[in-house]
Amino acid sequence: MLLLVVMFAVGVAAEEPENPYTSGIDVRMGQRQFQSKCTSCHGVDATGGEEADGPDLTTGRFQHASTDAGLYEVIRDGIEGTSMRGLRRAGDQEIWQLVTYLRTLSRYVDVASLPGSVEAGRGTFERLDCGRCHMVGGRGGRLGPDLSRVGERRDPDELAEDLTEPSAEVAPRWWTVRVTSADGMVVEGLRMGEDTFNLRIMDGEERLRSFAKASLRAVEREQTSTMPAEALPEAEVDNLVAYLASLRGSDP
Amino acid sequence: MRPIGWVGAALLLATAHAAPAQEPGADGMPLLSPVTWERLVNSDDEPHNWLMYHGALHGQRYSRLDQIDRGNVERLELKWAHQIRQLDRNQTTPLVVDGVMFITESPSNVTAVDAVTGRAYWRYEHPLPDGIRLCCGRNNRGVAILGETLYMSTNDAHLVAIDARSGSLLWDTEVADHTKGYSKTAAPLVVGDTVVTGIAGGEFGIRGFIDGYDAATGERRWRTYTVPGPGEPGNETWAGDSWRTGGAPTWLTGVYDPELDLIYWGGGNPAPDWNGDLRLGDNLYSSSVLALDGKTGEIVWHFQFTPHDVWDWDAIQVPVLADVELNGEPRRVMLWANRNAFYYLLDRTSGQFLLGEPFALQTWAHGLDENGRPILRENVFPTTEGTTVAPIAGGATNWWSPAYSPRSGFLYVNSFDAEGIYYQRDDDYEEGSIFLGGGHRMPLAADHYQSAIRAIEATTGEVRWEFPITPRTRSGVLATAGGLVWSASVDGYFFALDEETGEPLWRISLGAAPHASPMSYAVGGQQRIVVAMGNVVFVFGLAEE
Repeated sequence: MLLLVVMFAVGVAAEEPENPYTSGIDVRMGQRQFQSKCTSCHGVDATGGEEADGPDLTTGRFQHASTDAGLYEVIRDGIEGTSMRGLRRAGDQEIWQLVTYLRTLSRYVDVASLPGSVEAGRGTFERLDCGRCHMVGGRGGRLGPDLSRVGERRDPDELAEDLTEPSAEVAPRWWTVRVTSADGMVVEGLRMGEDTFNLRIMDGEERLRSFAKASLRAVEREQTSTMPAEALPEAEVDNLVAYLASLRGSDP
Repeated sequence: MRPIGWVGAALLLATAHAAPAQEPGADGMPLLSPVTWERLVNSDDEPHNWLMYHGALHGQRYSRLDQIDRGNVERLELKWAHQIRQLDRNQTTPLVVDGVMFITESPSNVTAVDAVTGRAYWRYEHPLPDGIRLCCGRNNRGVAILGETLYMSTNDAHLVAIDARSGSLLWDTEVADHTKGYSKTAAPLVVGDTVVTGIAGGEFGIRGFIDGYDAATGERRWRTYTVPGPGEPGNETWAGDSWRTGGAPTWLTGVYDPELDLIYWGGGNPAPDWNGDLRLGDNLYSSSVLALDGKTGEIVWHFQFTPHDVWDWDAIQVPVLADVELNGEPRRVMLWANRNAFYYLLDRTSGQFLLGEPFALQTWAHGLDENGRPILRENVFPTTEGTTVAPIAGGATNWWSPAYSPRSGFLYVNSFDAEGIYYQRDDDYEEGSIFLGGGHRMPLAADHYQSAIRAIEATTGEVRWEFPITPRTRSGVLATAGGLVWSASVDGYFFALDEETGEPLWRISLGAAPHASPMSYAVGGQQRIVVAMGNVVFVFGLAEE
């Protein structure tokens, strides 16, 4: 009996404190703190540093904490064995405000709050045969990005832009490369890897091919998307966005 | 082979002490003997050793070893590798002294290994306190040696002396208070019997300096601030009290000219980095090179590359000293490919500007005037909304070493062509906290830009060839007397180029990015080429025929 009481007491004591500073002003104060103390490693937009390798803080997931209290501890104490140094001299309020600001950076959105319908979006996805190029949950093609967890890395505005203006910003991984060999053969494919001496592509038949640059007559790079630009009604875009936003490994 | 026993070992050591360098041991291999100041001055005469961070006092990172050359480089193979235990950016340039290699490791450790086999003699692990302030990683680029003592910077802003034979700590001097944002990452430089060393912390509003310490005791002999105080010349280039938090750190190893008795050392960015309104004026001696008296550390001359720097373009590059012919006259010069994208040729006796030409993409200046001062373009200062300017904050090049070959007359520089977006914002200095006054980012992924190894003709500033590599690469360059230029790329290749044409002659995929500069040594008559990539130090040599 005594043991049970002790366990119960421990359980209560271990309950995590809630963030008491979550107003709009706290967000702005947290942002100021972030800009002054964190951007040199985590980047001005918190997506990761250039000179130092601080991780992206906008994914809605953190490697060393999941709760607000956990984030508070990481910010206060730092992470041993890494360059992440705790803000030991910062006050309680300043640290909570930083936590509040970090939460606003998350790309996580509540899918139910979006205008489109997830189910209708799934239907459009199938009707347009998006799976010919995109994989979702282990099924689909390989000529476009795997969308199984796209809702974690792209917010709804970005997803809408991806659908309506696919060539606006194409990651180098999805550029198209056209190589001409010394004997005039032309091969085209997606740019899976390029380095100082070699080039690796996936061609239209999803074959992996590697070329030594020195052996090629020409290399051309197209920085446009290979996704067909389909003029979709706004409601269908909304539905697709809702469906894509719902694609997450699990809720953070 | 039978062990020779303690008496025999003691006799051998005694012999080594008394004899000049390179006295071989019983097996024909060299025995570690004291590195005198004369040996350091004449290090080019013993190219089988690599006695200091840059290889020699002139900073050329040029090895006179020529066993590996353009004709046989194809026969290069891996001889051994050393895995560094602590995972971090590996920025070491090892030293090799009479068959022993000293490898610095992150955060503030050093290992001594046999240069033949790569197997360890000892390891020194420096205890570090909590709460060290670092802007850019737990770096540790190298050691210096004098006599039988190694000198190393530690991340908590100490300078330590370590016995080269045993790894024992001899003395430990606090250079500055790490809780105020000071730290140390660079190999010291030995000048006579003084250990000269700089300081890091430009992103924390420190006041930079260069120090000289008694090599035997660790006592400080002199300190020269890179931000002049009230009453000192140059203090008027800082509005109000801004000099107190002016930055201008000195986080790379300088060089020394024994004939002129001048130490040359680069100064970093002013603080805060991106808000120049908080420190109006030219902000001497930030983003400058200083020439210091070799005995007193007093400033003899200075040259500022980027007056009132608001882009974070530290003049933290290696001052490369060379003797060249200019307009038919022999000239003692300094070659400097700066982070601001201009190549400078200076007279190193006087600091006189001789020429300056861009060697990489730049959109901030129309050019340089007759004194080498930049002629600024319009709208290049950071703003709240962001201003796009080339080069990026990380620079057209950075701290990674260039190499100069007296054979070709070219300075080989790893360069990057890209623009960055610079933001200005208000900031308040708080002791020990980051003090940036803004931010910076690249608008596009690095793949949109270009890195290249460029060969700059030293006397004209003309880029004579370039070898494009995957952006953005942060690797130094080594030149060797076999007509080869060695460097590495971010995609994990280590390669050798023809010094005259830039043609790639050999390469190997090592699978991790470089953050260091290669070096060369020889042991048992065999030349070795060394590069640190990922967390590994790789050692190459020719395969036996």
